[in-house]
Amino acid sequence: MRRKLPQIIVAAVGLIMFLVYFSGHPTAQRVNQTILVDYWQIIFAFTLIVGVIGFARSNLQQIQRGDGRFFRIVSLVGLVSMPILALIGGINAGSPFVWMFDHVQAPMQATVFALLAFFVASAALRGFRARSVPAAILLLAATITLLARSDVGGATIAWLPETAEWIRAHPSMAARRAILIGIGLGSLTTSLRILIGIERTWLGSER
Amino acid sequence: MNSALSRRLAFAGLFIAVTVAMLIPSEGDVRVAPETRQLYEWIDSIPPGSQVIVSFDHEASALPEIRPLALALLRHCFERDLVPIGVSLLAEGTGIGFALMDQTADEYDKTYGEDYAFLGFKPQFIAAILSMGESIPATYPEDYLGTPIDSLPAMVGVTTYDDVVGVLSIADGSMTTHWVEYGEARFGVPIAGAVTAAMITSYDPYLASGQMVALMGGLRGAAEYEQLIGIGGGGSRGLLAQSVSHLYVLAMIIIGNLLWWRARRRKGKESV
Repeated sequence: MRRKLPQIIVAAVGLIMFLVYFSGHPTAQRVNQTILVDYWQIIFAFTLIVGVIGFARSNLQQIQRGDGRFFRIVSLVGLVSMPILALIGGINAGSPFVWMFDHVQAPMQATVFALLAFFVASAALRGFRARSVPAAILLLAATITLLARSDVGGATIAWLPETAEWIRAHPSMAARRAILIGIGLGSLTTSLRILIGIERTWLGSER
Repeated sequence: MNSALSRRLAFAGLFIAVTVAMLIPSEGDVRVAPETRQLYEWIDSIPPGSQVIVSFDHEASALPEIRPLALALLRHCFERDLVPIGVSLLAEGTGIGFALMDQTADEYDKTYGEDYAFLGFKPQFIAAILSMGESIPATYPEDYLGTPIDSLPAMVGVTTYDDVVGVLSIADGSMTTHWVEYGEARFGVPIAGAVTAAMITSYDPYLASGQMVALMGGLRGAAEYEQLIGIGGGGSRGLLAQSVSHLYVLAMIIIGNLLWWRARRRKGKESV
Protein backbone atom coordinates (compact mmCIF):
# COMPACT_ATOMS: atom_id res chain seq x y z
CA MET A 1 0.00 0.00 0.00
CA ARG A 2 2.94 2.36 0.72
CA ARG A 3 3.85 2.17 -2.97
CA LYS A 4 0.40 1.74 -4.46
CA LEU A 5 -1.20 4.80 -2.81
CA PRO A 6 1.33 7.38 -4.12
CA GLN A 7 1.07 5.77 -7.56
CA ILE A 8 -2.73 6.07 -7.54
CA ILE A 9 -2.55 9.73 -6.40
CA VAL A 10 0.01 10.57 -9.09
CA ALA A 11 -1.98 8.81 -11.84
CA ALA A 12 -5.28 10.47 -10.79
CA VAL A 13 -3.85 14.00 -10.41
CA GLY A 14 -1.78 13.65 -13.58
CA LEU A 15 -4.85 12.60 -15.56
CA ILE A 16 -6.99 15.40 -14.10
CA MET A 17 -4.32 18.02 -14.88
CA PHE A 18 -3.95 16.66 -18.41
CA LEU A 19 -7.72 16.84 -19.05
CA VAL A 20 -8.33 20.27 -17.50
CA TYR A 21 -5.36 21.73 -19.38
CA PHE A 22 -7.19 21.17 -22.68
CA SER A 23 -10.71 21.98 -21.46
CA GLY A 24 -12.33 25.39 -21.64
CA HIS A 25 -15.29 24.38 -19.44
CA PRO A 26 -15.75 26.71 -16.41
CA THR A 27 -15.64 23.76 -13.95
CA ALA A 28 -12.41 22.52 -15.50
CA GLN A 29 -10.96 26.03 -15.31
CA ARG A 30 -12.00 26.29 -11.64
CA VAL A 31 -10.37 22.95 -10.83
CA ASN A 32 -7.25 24.02 -12.72
CA GLN A 33 -7.09 27.32 -10.85
CA THR A 34 -7.59 25.66 -7.44
CA ILE A 35 -4.86 23.10 -8.09
CA LEU A 36 -2.44 25.63 -9.56
CA VAL A 37 -2.93 28.40 -7.01
CA ASP A 38 -3.88 26.67 -3.75
CA TYR A 39 -2.66 23.08 -3.84
CA TRP A 40 0.63 23.83 -5.52
CA GLN A 41 1.40 26.63 -3.05
CA ILE A 42 0.64 24.34 -0.09
CA ILE A 43 2.88 21.61 -1.51
CA PHE A 44 5.62 24.20 -2.13
CA ALA A 45 5.37 25.42 1.49
CA PHE A 46 5.84 21.87 2.76
CA THR A 47 8.77 21.18 0.43
CA LEU A 48 10.36 24.38 1.75
CA ILE A 49 9.95 23.16 5.35
CA VAL A 50 11.45 19.77 4.41
CA GLY A 51 14.36 21.55 2.70
CA VAL A 52 15.06 23.86 5.65
CA ILE A 53 14.93 21.00 8.17
CA GLY A 54 17.20 18.84 5.98
CA PHE A 55 19.70 21.68 5.50
CA ALA A 56 19.77 22.55 9.22
CA ARG A 57 20.09 18.90 10.33
CA SER A 58 22.86 18.13 7.86
CA ASN A 59 24.84 21.21 8.91
CA LEU A 60 24.37 20.56 12.64
CA GLN A 61 25.65 17.01 12.19
CA GLN A 62 28.71 18.29 10.31
CA ILE A 63 29.37 20.90 13.04
CA GLN A 64 29.29 18.15 15.68
CA ARG A 65 31.84 16.20 13.64
CA GLY A 66 33.99 19.34 13.33
CA ASP A 67 33.84 19.30 9.55
CA GLY A 68 34.06 22.86 8.10
CA ARG A 69 32.63 24.18 11.35
CA PHE A 70 33.06 27.91 10.66
CA PHE A 71 31.37 27.90 7.23
CA ARG A 72 28.50 25.75 8.45
CA ILE A 73 27.86 28.09 11.37
CA VAL A 74 27.79 31.04 8.93
CA SER A 75 25.27 29.13 6.77
CA LEU A 76 23.02 28.45 9.75
CA VAL A 77 23.25 32.04 10.98
CA GLY A 78 22.17 33.17 7.49
CA LEU A 79 19.33 30.66 7.45
CA VAL A 80 18.00 31.89 10.80
CA SER A 81 18.74 35.61 10.54
CA MET A 82 17.09 36.36 7.17
CA PRO A 83 13.57 35.25 8.18
CA ILE A 84 13.99 37.04 11.53
CA LEU A 85 15.02 40.27 9.76
CA ALA A 86 12.05 39.91 7.38
CA LEU A 87 9.65 39.38 10.30
CA ILE A 88 11.00 42.32 12.30
CA GLY A 89 11.63 44.93 9.61
CA GLY A 90 9.54 43.69 6.67
CA ILE A 91 10.78 43.17 3.12
CA ASN A 92 10.24 46.62 1.66
CA ALA A 93 12.97 48.86 0.27
CA GLY A 94 15.22 50.20 3.04
CA SER A 95 14.48 47.33 5.42
CA PRO A 96 17.38 45.37 7.01
CA PHE A 97 16.28 42.30 5.04
CA VAL A 98 16.66 44.12 1.71
CA TRP A 99 19.91 45.70 2.89
CA MET A 100 21.33 42.23 3.63
CA PHE A 101 20.11 40.97 0.27
CA ASP A 102 21.57 43.90 -1.67
CA HIS A 103 24.86 44.19 0.21
CA VAL A 104 25.63 40.61 1.20
CA GLN A 105 23.81 38.04 -0.88
CA ALA A 106 23.82 39.77 -4.29
CA PRO A 107 27.56 40.69 -4.26
CA MET A 108 28.49 37.22 -2.97
CA GLN A 109 26.54 35.48 -5.71
CA ALA A 110 27.85 37.85 -8.38
CA THR A 111 31.40 37.19 -7.12
CA VAL A 112 30.99 33.43 -7.36
CA PHE A 113 29.47 33.78 -10.83
CA ALA A 114 32.29 36.10 -11.93
CA LEU A 115 34.84 33.44 -10.99
CA LEU A 116 33.59 31.53 -14.02
CA ALA A 117 35.51 33.95 -16.25
CA PHE A 118 38.77 32.82 -14.60
CA PHE A 119 37.89 29.16 -15.02
CA VAL A 120 37.03 29.77 -18.67
CA ALA A 121 40.41 31.45 -19.21
CA SER A 122 42.20 28.58 -17.49
CA ALA A 123 40.21 25.97 -19.43
CA ALA A 124 40.93 27.81 -22.70
CA LEU A 125 44.65 27.64 -21.98
CA ARG A 126 44.80 24.04 -20.79
CA GLY A 127 41.88 22.16 -22.26
CA PHE A 128 40.53 23.59 -25.50
CA ARG A 129 42.66 21.66 -28.01
CA ALA A 130 42.23 20.98 -31.72
CA ARG A 131 42.88 17.25 -31.20
CA SER A 132 40.57 16.13 -34.01
CA VAL A 133 38.68 17.55 -36.99
CA PRO A 134 35.39 18.06 -35.03
CA ALA A 135 37.35 19.74 -32.21
CA ALA A 136 39.09 22.01 -34.76
CA ILE A 137 35.71 22.95 -36.30
CA LEU A 138 34.34 23.72 -32.84
CA LEU A 139 37.42 25.80 -32.09
CA LEU A 140 37.03 27.76 -35.32
CA ALA A 141 33.31 28.40 -34.69
CA ALA A 142 34.06 29.53 -31.13
CA THR A 143 36.83 31.83 -32.35
CA ILE A 144 34.60 33.49 -34.96
CA THR A 145 31.72 33.89 -32.47
CA LEU A 146 33.94 35.29 -29.73
CA LEU A 147 35.59 37.74 -32.10
CA ALA A 148 32.26 38.86 -33.55
CA ARG A 149 30.76 39.40 -30.11
CA SER A 150 33.75 41.48 -29.06
CA ASP A 151 33.68 45.14 -29.92
CA VAL A 152 37.07 44.95 -31.62
CA GLY A 153 36.50 42.02 -33.98
CA GLY A 154 32.91 42.86 -34.95
CA ALA A 155 33.77 46.45 -35.79
CA THR A 156 37.00 45.90 -37.74
CA ILE A 157 36.34 42.76 -39.80
CA ALA A 158 33.31 43.28 -42.01
CA TRP A 159 32.43 39.62 -42.72
CA LEU A 160 32.78 38.50 -39.09
CA PRO A 161 29.33 39.47 -37.70
CA GLU A 162 27.55 37.91 -40.72
CA THR A 163 29.55 34.70 -40.38
CA ALA A 164 28.85 34.53 -36.64
CA GLU A 165 25.14 35.08 -37.30
CA TRP A 166 25.19 32.33 -39.95
CA ILE A 167 26.78 29.92 -37.43
CA ARG A 168 24.10 30.83 -34.92
CA ALA A 169 21.20 30.66 -37.36
CA HIS A 170 22.12 27.37 -39.04
CA PRO A 171 24.45 24.80 -37.39
CA SER A 172 23.81 26.02 -33.85
CA MET A 173 20.04 26.30 -34.33
CA ALA A 174 19.85 22.84 -35.96
CA ALA A 175 21.61 21.33 -32.95
CA ARG A 176 19.38 23.26 -30.55
CA ARG A 177 16.24 22.08 -32.31
CA ALA A 178 17.42 18.47 -32.20
CA ILE A 179 18.10 18.79 -28.47
CA LEU A 180 14.71 20.45 -27.83
CA ILE A 181 12.82 17.78 -29.78
CA GLY A 182 14.77 15.09 -27.92
CA ILE A 183 13.94 16.67 -24.55
CA GLY A 184 10.27 16.97 -25.54
CA LEU A 185 9.97 13.34 -26.59
CA GLY A 186 11.89 12.20 -23.51
CA SER A 187 9.66 14.22 -21.18
CA LEU A 188 6.54 12.88 -22.86
CA THR A 189 7.54 9.22 -22.58
CA THR A 190 8.79 9.62 -18.99
CA SER A 191 5.53 11.35 -17.99
CA LEU A 192 3.47 8.58 -19.59
CA ARG A 193 5.58 5.90 -17.91
CA ILE A 194 5.02 7.57 -14.52
CA LEU A 195 1.29 8.04 -15.08
CA ILE A 196 0.66 4.42 -16.06
CA GLY A 197 2.96 3.09 -13.35
CA ILE A 198 5.78 1.59 -15.42
CA GLU A 199 8.33 4.07 -14.08
CA ARG A 200 8.57 3.66 -10.31
CA THR A 201 12.07 4.84 -9.44
CA TRP A 202 10.66 8.12 -8.06
CA LEU A 203 9.12 6.08 -5.23
CA GLY A 204 12.56 5.17 -3.94
CA SER A 205 13.75 1.69 -2.97
CA GLU A 206 11.42 -1.18 -2.07
CA ARG A 207 12.28 -0.90 1.63
CA MET B 1 55.16 25.16 -18.21
CA ASN B 2 54.12 24.06 -14.75
CA SER B 3 50.32 23.51 -14.68
CA ALA B 4 49.64 25.43 -11.46
CA LEU B 5 51.86 28.31 -12.62
CA SER B 6 50.17 28.52 -16.02
CA ARG B 7 46.77 28.63 -14.31
CA ARG B 8 47.87 31.41 -11.98
CA LEU B 9 49.31 33.39 -14.87
CA ALA B 10 46.04 32.98 -16.80
CA PHE B 11 44.06 34.21 -13.79
CA ALA B 12 46.36 37.17 -13.17
CA GLY B 13 46.36 38.15 -16.84
CA LEU B 14 42.57 38.18 -17.02
CA PHE B 15 42.30 40.20 -13.82
CA ILE B 16 44.70 42.84 -15.12
CA ALA B 17 43.10 42.96 -18.58
CA VAL B 18 39.54 43.39 -17.25
CA THR B 19 40.58 45.92 -14.58
CA VAL B 20 42.41 48.09 -17.11
CA ALA B 21 39.49 47.86 -19.56
CA MET B 22 37.03 48.90 -16.84
CA LEU B 23 39.11 52.01 -16.15
CA ILE B 24 39.03 53.13 -19.78
CA PRO B 25 35.83 55.00 -20.72
CA SER B 26 34.07 53.06 -23.48
CA GLU B 27 32.60 55.25 -26.18
CA GLY B 28 31.57 54.90 -29.78
CA ASP B 29 28.82 53.23 -31.74
CA VAL B 30 28.14 49.55 -31.67
CA ARG B 31 26.64 47.59 -34.53
CA VAL B 32 23.02 46.88 -33.55
CA ALA B 33 22.06 43.25 -34.08
CA PRO B 34 18.79 42.60 -35.97
CA GLU B 35 17.16 40.86 -33.00
CA THR B 36 17.90 43.80 -30.67
CA ARG B 37 16.35 46.17 -33.20
CA GLN B 38 13.35 43.81 -33.44
CA LEU B 39 12.77 44.08 -29.68
CA TYR B 40 13.16 47.85 -29.78
CA GLU B 41 10.66 48.11 -32.63
CA TRP B 42 8.21 45.77 -30.88
CA ILE B 43 8.19 47.92 -27.73
CA ASP B 44 8.10 51.08 -29.84
CA SER B 45 4.99 49.83 -31.65
CA ILE B 46 2.96 49.32 -28.44
CA PRO B 47 0.37 52.08 -27.94
CA PRO B 48 1.02 54.32 -24.89
CA GLY B 49 -1.00 53.37 -21.82
CA SER B 50 -0.88 49.63 -22.64
CA GLN B 51 -0.01 47.21 -19.88
CA VAL B 52 2.97 44.91 -20.38
CA ILE B 53 4.10 42.20 -17.96
CA VAL B 54 7.80 42.46 -17.09
CA SER B 55 8.93 39.23 -15.50
CA PHE B 56 12.16 39.28 -13.48
CA ASP B 57 13.15 35.63 -13.87
CA HIS B 58 16.71 35.75 -12.60
CA GLU B 59 18.90 35.42 -9.57
CA ALA B 60 21.34 37.85 -7.99
CA SER B 61 24.36 36.10 -9.53
CA ALA B 62 23.57 37.42 -13.02
CA LEU B 63 22.92 40.98 -11.85
CA PRO B 64 25.94 42.61 -13.59
CA GLU B 65 24.57 41.41 -16.93
CA ILE B 66 20.85 41.54 -16.16
CA ARG B 67 20.77 45.01 -14.63
CA PRO B 68 21.80 46.95 -17.81
CA LEU B 69 19.34 44.88 -19.87
CA ALA B 70 16.47 45.52 -17.45
CA LEU B 71 17.22 49.22 -17.04
CA ALA B 72 17.39 49.83 -20.80
CA LEU B 73 14.07 48.05 -21.36
CA LEU B 74 12.30 49.74 -18.45
CA ARG B 75 13.55 53.15 -19.58
CA HIS B 76 12.14 52.52 -23.03
CA CYS B 77 8.81 51.34 -21.53
CA PHE B 78 8.48 54.42 -19.31
CA GLU B 79 9.57 56.75 -22.11
CA ARG B 80 6.80 55.29 -24.28
CA ASP B 81 4.28 55.72 -21.40
CA LEU B 82 3.63 51.99 -21.22
CA VAL B 83 2.42 50.52 -17.93
CA PRO B 84 4.86 47.80 -16.80
CA ILE B 85 3.44 45.20 -14.43
CA GLY B 86 6.33 43.50 -12.64
CA VAL B 87 6.25 39.88 -11.55
CA SER B 88 8.93 37.38 -10.63
CA LEU B 89 9.12 33.64 -11.11
CA LEU B 90 12.24 33.34 -8.95
CA ALA B 91 12.32 34.57 -5.34
CA GLU B 92 15.59 36.44 -5.79
CA GLY B 93 14.27 38.38 -8.76
CA THR B 94 11.56 39.93 -6.59
CA GLY B 95 13.61 42.43 -4.59
CA ILE B 96 15.85 43.20 -7.56
CA GLY B 97 12.92 43.69 -9.94
CA PHE B 98 11.08 45.98 -7.55
CA ALA B 99 14.21 48.09 -6.95
CA LEU B 100 14.93 48.38 -10.70
CA MET B 101 11.35 49.42 -11.48
CA ASP B 102 11.37 51.90 -8.62
CA GLN B 103 14.68 53.43 -9.76
CA THR B 104 13.59 53.77 -13.40
CA ALA B 105 10.14 55.08 -12.48
CA ASP B 106 11.79 57.85 -10.44
CA GLU B 107 13.80 58.92 -13.51
CA TYR B 108 10.54 59.43 -15.45
CA ASP B 109 8.42 60.81 -12.57
CA LYS B 110 6.10 57.81 -12.67
CA THR B 111 3.85 57.00 -9.73
CA TYR B 112 3.59 53.54 -8.24
CA GLY B 113 0.14 52.03 -8.64
CA GLU B 114 -0.85 54.43 -11.41
CA ASP B 115 1.94 54.16 -13.98
CA TYR B 116 3.38 50.81 -12.95
CA ALA B 117 2.80 48.02 -10.48
CA PHE B 118 4.78 45.18 -8.99
CA LEU B 119 2.93 41.98 -8.12
CA GLY B 120 5.88 40.08 -6.70
CA PHE B 121 6.83 36.42 -6.56
CA LYS B 122 4.76 33.27 -6.97
CA PRO B 123 6.41 29.93 -6.30
CA GLN B 124 6.32 27.16 -8.88
CA PHE B 125 6.81 29.04 -12.13
CA ILE B 126 4.77 26.72 -14.36
CA ALA B 127 1.80 26.91 -11.99
CA ALA B 128 2.19 30.69 -11.79
CA ILE B 129 2.24 31.14 -15.59
CA LEU B 130 -0.76 28.85 -16.13
CA SER B 131 -2.67 30.37 -13.25
CA MET B 132 -2.15 33.94 -14.51
CA GLY B 133 -3.57 32.78 -17.83
CA GLU B 134 -6.78 31.80 -16.04
CA SER B 135 -6.93 34.86 -13.77
CA ILE B 136 -4.29 37.40 -12.77
CA PRO B 137 -6.31 38.84 -9.82
CA ALA B 138 -6.88 35.29 -8.46
CA THR B 139 -3.17 34.51 -8.75
CA TYR B 140 -2.10 37.84 -7.27
CA PRO B 141 -4.90 39.19 -5.05
CA GLU B 142 -2.37 41.68 -3.60
CA ASP B 143 0.69 43.40 -5.01
CA TYR B 144 4.22 43.13 -3.59
CA LEU B 145 3.48 45.83 -1.00
CA GLY B 146 0.28 44.15 0.18
CA THR B 147 -2.17 46.48 -1.57
CA PRO B 148 -5.23 44.76 -3.10
CA ILE B 149 -4.67 44.90 -6.83
CA ASP B 150 -8.27 46.01 -7.49
CA SER B 151 -7.33 49.34 -5.94
CA LEU B 152 -4.36 49.93 -8.30
CA PRO B 153 -5.24 52.08 -11.34
CA ALA B 154 -2.38 50.39 -13.25
CA MET B 155 -4.21 47.07 -12.95
CA VAL B 156 -7.61 48.31 -14.14
CA GLY B 157 -8.98 45.99 -16.82
CA VAL B 158 -6.20 43.42 -16.40
CA THR B 159 -7.78 40.02 -15.80
CA THR B 160 -5.87 37.62 -18.06
CA TYR B 161 -3.11 37.68 -20.65
CA ASP B 162 -5.68 38.93 -23.15
CA ASP B 163 -5.57 42.29 -21.38
CA VAL B 164 -1.82 42.84 -21.70
CA VAL B 165 0.20 43.38 -24.87
CA GLY B 166 2.76 40.78 -23.96
CA VAL B 167 5.31 39.45 -21.52
CA LEU B 168 8.87 40.68 -21.35
CA SER B 169 10.92 38.02 -19.59
CA ILE B 170 14.27 39.17 -18.19
CA ALA B 171 16.02 35.91 -17.43
CA ASP B 172 19.39 34.34 -16.66
CA GLY B 173 18.30 30.76 -17.27
CA SER B 174 15.59 28.75 -18.94
CA MET B 175 12.66 30.61 -17.39
CA THR B 176 11.73 32.34 -20.66
CA THR B 177 11.24 28.86 -22.15
CA HIS B 178 8.41 28.29 -19.68
CA TRP B 179 6.78 31.55 -20.69
CA VAL B 180 6.92 30.35 -24.30
CA GLU B 181 5.79 26.78 -23.58
CA TYR B 182 2.94 27.70 -21.26
CA GLY B 183 2.14 31.39 -21.74
CA GLU B 184 2.45 31.54 -25.53
CA ALA B 185 1.49 27.97 -26.43
CA ARG B 186 -1.51 27.75 -24.08
CA PHE B 187 -2.80 31.34 -24.01
CA GLY B 188 -1.22 32.95 -27.06
CA VAL B 189 0.40 35.84 -25.16
CA PRO B 190 3.34 37.37 -27.10
CA ILE B 191 6.67 36.71 -25.37
CA ALA B 192 9.84 38.77 -25.68
CA GLY B 193 13.08 37.94 -23.91
CA ALA B 194 16.11 39.74 -22.53
CA VAL B 195 18.54 37.06 -21.46
CA THR B 196 22.17 36.54 -20.50
CA ALA B 197 24.62 36.00 -23.38
CA ALA B 198 25.20 32.38 -22.39
CA MET B 199 21.51 31.60 -22.86
CA ILE B 200 20.73 33.42 -26.08
CA THR B 201 21.23 30.53 -28.50
CA SER B 202 18.81 28.42 -26.43
CA TYR B 203 16.02 30.73 -27.54
CA ASP B 204 16.93 30.99 -31.23
CA PRO B 205 14.54 28.18 -32.27
CA TYR B 206 11.62 29.93 -30.52
CA LEU B 207 12.46 33.24 -32.19
CA ALA B 208 12.81 31.63 -35.61
CA SER B 209 9.49 29.80 -35.25
CA GLY B 210 7.67 32.98 -34.23
CA GLN B 211 6.91 31.69 -30.72
CA MET B 212 8.87 34.66 -29.41
CA VAL B 213 8.33 38.13 -30.81
CA ALA B 214 11.79 39.44 -29.96
CA LEU B 215 14.97 38.59 -28.12
CA MET B 216 18.12 40.33 -27.01
CA GLY B 217 20.98 39.13 -24.93
CA GLY B 218 23.98 39.88 -22.85
CA LEU B 219 25.93 42.99 -22.12
CA ARG B 220 26.30 43.55 -25.84
CA GLY B 221 22.51 43.47 -26.29
CA ALA B 222 22.19 46.00 -23.48
CA ALA B 223 24.79 48.28 -25.12
CA GLU B 224 22.95 48.02 -28.45
CA TYR B 225 19.63 48.82 -26.79
CA GLU B 226 21.15 51.75 -24.90
CA GLN B 227 22.32 53.10 -28.24
CA LEU B 228 18.83 52.72 -29.74
CA ILE B 229 17.12 54.58 -26.90
CA GLY B 230 19.94 57.13 -26.73
CA ILE B 231 20.63 56.66 -23.01
CA GLY B 232 24.00 55.27 -21.96
CA GLY B 233 24.27 52.76 -19.16
CA GLY B 234 25.99 49.67 -17.79
CA GLY B 235 25.90 47.88 -21.15
CA SER B 236 28.02 50.45 -22.96
CA ARG B 237 30.32 50.80 -19.93
CA GLY B 238 30.92 47.05 -19.59
CA LEU B 239 31.23 46.24 -23.27
CA LEU B 240 34.92 47.07 -23.54
CA ALA B 241 35.76 44.91 -20.52
CA GLN B 242 33.75 42.06 -22.00
CA SER B 243 35.40 42.46 -25.40
CA VAL B 244 38.83 42.44 -23.78
CA SER B 245 37.99 39.28 -21.84
CA HIS B 246 36.77 37.63 -25.08
CA LEU B 247 40.05 38.49 -26.80
CA TYR B 248 41.96 37.27 -23.77
CA VAL B 249 40.19 33.90 -23.87
CA LEU B 250 41.00 33.70 -27.60
CA ALA B 251 44.64 34.41 -26.88
CA MET B 252 44.61 31.68 -24.22
CA ILE B 253 43.16 29.19 -26.73
CA ILE B 254 45.85 30.05 -29.29
CA ILE B 255 48.71 29.92 -26.76
CA GLY B 256 47.37 26.66 -25.30
CA ASN B 257 47.19 25.04 -28.73
CA LEU B 258 50.67 26.26 -29.75
CA LEU B 259 52.16 24.85 -26.54
CA TRP B 260 50.33 21.58 -27.09
CA TRP B 261 51.50 21.26 -30.71
CA ARG B 262 55.08 22.00 -29.68
CA ALA B 263 54.94 19.42 -26.93
CA ARG B 264 53.48 16.86 -29.34
CA ARG B 265 56.18 17.51 -31.95
CA ARG B 266 58.89 17.12 -29.32
CA LYS B 267 57.36 13.89 -28.14
CA GLY B 268 57.18 12.63 -31.74
CA LYS B 269 60.85 13.44 -32.38
CA GLU B 270 61.93 11.75 -29.14
CA SER B 271 60.02 8.55 -29.97
CA VAL B 272 61.67 8.48 -33.43
